[in-house]
Amino acid sequence: MKPTHHLDDATLLSYSSGALPAALAVVASTHLECCAACRAHLLDADQIGGMLMQQQRVDAPAHAAREVMLALLDAEPAIQQAAPPPDIVEEHDLDRLPSALHPWFGHSMRALRWRRVAPGVQRIRATGIGGGDLMLLRIAPGSKLPLHSHGGSELTVILDGAYDDMLGHFGPGDVADLDSGVHHQPVTSPGLPCICVAATDAPLVFSGWIARTLQPLFGF
Amino acid sequence: MMDLGQTVAEVAPFRAKRSVSASVSNAMPDALYWATQMSAVSVQRDRVSFMRIYDHFAPRLQRYLRNLGVADGVADELVQEALLTLWRKAHLFDPARAGLGTWLFRVARNLYIDHVRQEPHWLPVQEGLDRLDHAECDRRDSQPESFIDQDLLKQAIDRLPPMQAKLVRMCYLESKSHSVISAELDMPLGSVKSSLRRAFAKLQGSMRAQR
Repeated sequence: MKPTHHLDDATLLSYSSGALPAALAVVASTHLECCAACRAHLLDADQIGGMLMQQQRVDAPAHAAREVMLALLDAEPAIQQAAPPPDIVEEHDLDRLPSALHPWFGHSMRALRWRRVAPGVQRIRATGIGGGDLMLLRIAPGSKLPLHSHGGSELTVILDGAYDDMLGHFGPGDVADLDSGVHHQPVTSPGLPCICVAATDAPLVFSGWIARTLQPLFGF
Repeated sequence: MMDLGQTVAEVAPFRAKRSVSASVSNAMPDALYWATQMSAVSVQRDRVSFMRIYDHFAPRLQRYLRNLGVADGVADELVQEALLTLWRKAHLFDPARAGLGTWLFRVARNLYIDHVRQEPHWLPVQEGLDRLDHAECDRRDSQPESFIDQDLLKQAIDRLPPMQAKLVRMCYLESKSHSVISAELDMPLGSVKSSLRRAFAKLQGSMRAQR
């Protein structure tokens, strides 16, 4: 899976600084897991954070604080613990959801319990996420969504299936990180349902494309 | 008590040396210097090198966390935890990937998100992304060019137009989301994003220039 649609640099800066609302950060992480190019950009963003942190003018640390630090080192075991073995990931396990989604939706695509919210549209909403709204959507193949634009910040990553709009073809791993004001009309590809994870930063005001699509149908 | 006394004696020569260079305590040593200190910490478990790192970075990390609104006492604890993480995981530091400042920034930011913003899933996800990058480096059997020139990045930050500089600082040093920045400055969300995008392109250009 090599994505062709990437995270906006402004979104990466926000992610790097820890300022991206939690729901958006989950979707950004989902893309980062499968995109080495965006991980390289993220490292650049982290370098900026590292430099800004270092550029601050400060005084030398207090004697007492140094003593506390040294005492903490004394309390450390002499032998380093071996690092835990890395997770072994079956790269081609199509049923496995990306790691970033596990806390919210479990591990397995097949085990998801979808709820129908409109004809051809099923949804699962994450509960208990602090910042923003996070949901999985499953849209029937060959569906044409109404023309719409984006309100606040919204991020979508395709997990399975695909859609096309004026910006191109969006397949698994691709992220739609669109500026407000972009009008588009996604059409899901024939064959497979389009499964995606989407987040908005507005927990109460539903302004994104998915919400606008569903709002008149469902009134949530 | 004996232990503490010995510890003080151990660091005393270093402290004497430090006072000589006190006038340049805000100067930034280069990446090679920190790579050498980290190697001493990792291989020899060298406390003097560790305290050199501590003396430079602890006050900066503390200032960073306090600017994010973290209470003094909590900030002190998080700084200690960041430095203990460095002591425990020094062997994972790879100077070819990023400088020590970047590494510690990541550690402190992750601790902030985990402890203060109370997002327990952030840390495991970041560790997972880190492992992917390490695996990537191993597979390619090549490292990204190391030791970006910190001075060039610093100069590029200083040269940013005032509004871009303000937005980048609000983002990193106040950890404000685009929506919050947009509301606070009464600036359209799209303008906040495009300004940040331009700032990032300039700073990235300064880092890439030497690669």
